[in-house]
Amino acid sequence: MSNLLKYMIENASMILNYANTHFSLIFSAVVISLLVWVPLGILISRNERLASIVIGIANTIFCIPSLALFSVFVTIPFLGLGRSSSLLALVLYAMMPMVINVYQGIKVVDKSVIEAAKGMGMSSRRILREIQIPLAAPVMFAGIRITVVMATGIAAIAAYIGERNLGRLITEGITRNHVEMILSGAILIALIAILFDTVLGAVERMLVPKGLKVRRSN
Amino acid sequence: MNWERYLDALSRVPHELAIHIIMVLISLAVAIAVSLPIGVILTRPRFRKLGALVMNILNIFQAFPGMAIIALTMPVLGLGLKPAIGALVVQALLPIARNTIAGLYGVDPNIKEAAQGMGMSEKKVLFEVELPLAMPVILAGIRTSAVYVVSVGTLAAYIDGGGLGNLIITGLNMLWAEFIIVGAGFGALLAIFFDRGLSYVEYKLTPPGFSIIK
Repeated sequence: MSNLLKYMIENASMILNYANTHFSLIFSAVVISLLVWVPLGILISRNERLASIVIGIANTIFCIPSLALFSVFVTIPFLGLGRSSSLLALVLYAMMPMVINVYQGIKVVDKSVIEAAKGMGMSSRRILREIQIPLAAPVMFAGIRITVVMATGIAAIAAYIGERNLGRLITEGITRNHVEMILSGAILIALIAILFDTVLGAVERMLVPKGLKVRRSN
Repeated sequence: MNWERYLDALSRVPHELAIHIIMVLISLAVAIAVSLPIGVILTRPRFRKLGALVMNILNIFQAFPGMAIIALTMPVLGLGLKPAIGALVVQALLPIARNTIAGLYGVDPNIKEAAQGMGMSEKKVLFEVELPLAMPVILAGIRTSAVYVVSVGTLAAYIDGGGLGNLIITGLNMLWAEFIIVGAGFGALLAIFFDRGLSYVEYKLTPPGFSIIK
């Protein structure tokens, strides 16, 4: 344990550097997936046939082992080793949690609420914007939370395709048989993932509208 | 593209695929044998408080990245296939235990009461009412675990566990696209195969009227 702390303190600047790349990769992946998958999720909530196709694709992509997806992108010439491949893979993995949560969030909105809005003379676009999306917000946010936590773990694997992030501590530690290095990488990644999960979970609970809280605690 | 290298990679597939499948099946079997009973015990009225606590802990551990677990087993268990299986078991335990607890909690208390009212013993309620009704959720957990284990199994090659990861790693190290494509392709197919196969079982075992809305 003291060896571990010693190692972490001695290499603090390198570890911070790695953590920095780790965060920037996760951040860009989450931003891109928000921009791409949320609109897609909203789109498929209005078209059942498209929905089943898109969800099937998302589930299939999610099954692909992460090392496999990362390394396949490496073989595509214009992606190559490094950032663009890892970013693309993370965004594709985010498709499953994001699209499905947006879709389900919108779908589970109480039918009678929508009918009441219709009865008040709201157009379907206005119902979507003012009722379905706000009510779906907590579920959508749960999708973001899953994406962030998942990306933290999977980003580490990108170290094998040239990303210089916290996963690098693990990969190099395994090659060098350096236990403290592996431990510091693994523990830091796990701690960051758990931290993200807890913080975003708290935010998620704050997002739930007051009237819906009782249903959640059951 | 180099056809000879493709053939070389393909000739190694049966061996690596067999190791990969064995690795996945053993770790899944062990994980089911361990976490299903734990899940059942934790939902009994006697341990109900403990169950909620364990559920919270499992939720936190769900965030633990797979690669970290593989990496952490190496200092403890060393290199080879057995440590890799150990790491995969740890990995597979969580979703199954979690879904077992969630599934058993999800059974309508009215149904349980009705069964008790019909004079069923506690054991009979568990085996004939609760477990069948919770089965779809439990199976969903097993499916999540299976896909996860196939995925993390490719990383096992880094701690000398063998499997399809070997092909991918050779490809990455030598920058041979052929090895990467063959290894990754079969890895993806294996994962999709497990996913589809288990979702079919799940669909078949769901009692009519209790199918989960997807």
